[in-house]
Amino acid sequence: MSQTHQAHGYRVYWVVWFVLLIVTVGMMSLGTAGLTTFLILILLLGMLLKASLISGYFMHLRFERASLILIVAVGILATAGVLFFLIAPDGLRVLHSGSHVDLGGGR
Amino acid sequence: MNQAAKSAGIESVWRGGISPFAVSWRKLMMWLFIITDGLLFAGLLAGYGFVRLASPRWPNRAEIFHLDFIALMTFILITSSATMATAVGAARQGRPKTVVRFLLLTILGGLSFLGCQAYEWSKLIGEGARLSTNPWGVPLFSAAFFIITGFHGSHVLTGVLILSIVAVRALRQRVSPEGVELAGLYWHFVDLVWVFIFTLFYLI
Repeated sequence: MSQTHQAHGYRVYWVVWFVLLIVTVGMMSLGTAGLTTFLILILLLGMLLKASLISGYFMHLRFERASLILIVAVGILATAGVLFFLIAPDGLRVLHSGSHVDLGGGR
Repeated sequence: MNQAAKSAGIESVWRGGISPFAVSWRKLMMWLFIITDGLLFAGLLAGYGFVRLASPRWPNRAEIFHLDFIALMTFILITSSATMATAVGAARQGRPKTVVRFLLLTILGGLSFLGCQAYEWSKLIGEGARLSTNPWGVPLFSAAFFIITGFHGSHVLTGVLILSIVAVRALRQRVSPEGVELAGLYWHFVDLVWVFIFTLFYLI
């Protein structure tokens, strides 16, 4: 943690807390039923914004050396990418084919 | 730089004593643990994404959960993260009483969250939801719910235990500022995971 950051005291944490709260309330107000692709994208952006604020300020990642930020961010993002590109096409194929996989619903 | 100076530089790097990440080994290990634990949840959420995409339909969460209640749980966890960050800041500034006060508030937040989760689980189990069956016709819905929130809840419980130990040590002034910071990193990670679960499972 840098000295400059320490000098700000605790105020920054409560500002971040307030922003997280506002973003959460905003996301809740979008509702859950009948979400359009656009609204889902907004929700995902809100989620990423909250994750960045928590890791950046609460976990002080923003104030760490670039090498540490890179091992965290690249590790997580690369895995997310691999999982998405491996799983999403298959999941979507099943969705669009009309014949759904029996996921145990018949039991 | 001549060849000899270059060799000397390389040799001193390999001799140790240099911290490429400018953090202590304990903090680096905590970060590596957080990354690997993050991958566990990434796998769980990706598995949930697959079964959801592959299911012909998926229950409307608003009809099953009280989303206001879930929002309250989110509020509790976010607030506990802010109190934890304040405890870490106080530890850095050498204010032990403030550290203990905010650690206790964080523990209270964690226990409240666990209480809410216990209530939510009991309610769903009371309505007939089990790991492999549920009244809403999509068995994997409750499987995903219990596994993902269960894993997260076990992390919260572990966090409460760790924070309790740190609080006792802080009371006896036997914890270093870094010790509080490392416990804080874990607690914020638990909050971070909830951000993803809240959005991907409850909202979308």
